[in-house]
Amino acid sequence: MLTSKISTASNNQPTDNRVAILNSSEKRSDQWSQLLISVGENRDRKAFAQLFKHFGPLLKGFAHASRNEGWFPGLGDDLVQEVMIKVWNKAAGYNAEKASATTWIYTVARNCRIDMLRRKSNTQHLPLENEDFWHEPDEVTPISLLQQKRSEDKIQASLAQLPKEQNQILRKVYLEGKSHAEASAELNLPLGTVKSRVRLALQKMQIIVSKEAQE
Amino acid sequence: MSNFTNHHPDESMLLEFSAGTLETAISICVSAHLHYCSHCRAQLLRLDQVGSQIMTQSDPMTLADDSFERVMEKIDSADEPAVDNNTNGSDLPFSVNKLINTSLVSKNWKRLSSSVDIARFSTGQDNFEVALHKIRAGGKTPKHDHEGLEYTVVLKGSFSDENAVYREGDFLLRQPGDVHQPMGAQNGECICLSALSAPIKPTSPLGFLIKPWLRINPM
Repeated sequence: MLTSKISTASNNQPTDNRVAILNSSEKRSDQWSQLLISVGENRDRKAFAQLFKHFGPLLKGFAHASRNEGWFPGLGDDLVQEVMIKVWNKAAGYNAEKASATTWIYTVARNCRIDMLRRKSNTQHLPLENEDFWHEPDEVTPISLLQQKRSEDKIQASLAQLPKEQNQILRKVYLEGKSHAEASAELNLPLGTVKSRVRLALQKMQIIVSKEAQE
Repeated sequence: MSNFTNHHPDESMLLEFSAGTLETAISICVSAHLHYCSHCRAQLLRLDQVGSQIMTQSDPMTLADDSFERVMEKIDSADEPAVDNNTNGSDLPFSVNKLINTSLVSKNWKRLSSSVDIARFSTGQDNFEVALHKIRAGGKTPKHDHEGLEYTVVLKGSFSDENAVYREGDFLLRQPGDVHQPMGAQNGECICLSALSAPIKPTSPLGFLIKPWLRINPM
């Protein structure tokens, strides 16, 4: 695992220098993103094998955590296979300035999991795959891997400090794939309570950024 | 794309979008809004980071010994993939563009009222009717209430109601009890994406006259 030591390098990077800064911070910041770049640029099989070794078991765990309609016992192995093939195929389009490898692979896995479950449980024709919702324009402001690594470390640390009932709801939503309404039914809580717990958790983790602060 | 939108989905909607638990029809609207709104894209990235950290904290499960080899075999037997450069070839959000190309119920606009046209999508779900609405420049829509929820995203042009002017990318949620009378901007037609969960009800005394056209009505 990476050291979670947080560097104190300045945040104010001139944009013309961003590639150099991105490169210089890569080694310290995030080996997985580095490996993914290498898969994209060089079709690097060794790097891909390392990613597979790290993410494969996590993806299988992620599949098994799902409590959604359409779940089937082979989902774990199918998901690992489908996600890792997508990772290989899409790696050339991976942009480390938009998201770290961990976040990028999570979004691929989330979309795959939903689409696989839908294909199992839905007989209607679905014109859109979940993946289609994630085609956003390129960001004007790149985010260095170091910045991303820092904010992910912060999120990881603050997740551990959340009150149990807030942590439980986030896990239900993200891991089990439950909507707020389903979570409210299962936990026997009013929908408003579920939403306010989620809101409190996001505030505590400083995920909610006010619109004023950003502009 | 720059950020001029003033009306956004709330945090719990974005979180459900990030976790993938949001209904398809609402996801279409949120993804359309994200196309225009850099603020919400930044917010979504942070929510995706939360998801990724929760995923890495899940219990890893052992894979079959040959799982890596099986994946490599599949990769080697397939053609080298084309680079996915995410280009859209349109000003419209990717998902809307795809719906227009694959899932229009009818290729032509249908007239809803003297100032509003509609083009419905078939999206493989029955909870919401997803459609495009076109309001003519300066066109007035009948005053109406909503029986269900209605999500709207402005795709082109602008429209206004008693409360505000809504411009490209703005995301609106109408709830039962919200009575309003939208009006297209004077300087050009306005195109909106909407997802409506139940028919609206006209509130004007002559509302019954227009009801047949208003089975599904914009905004």
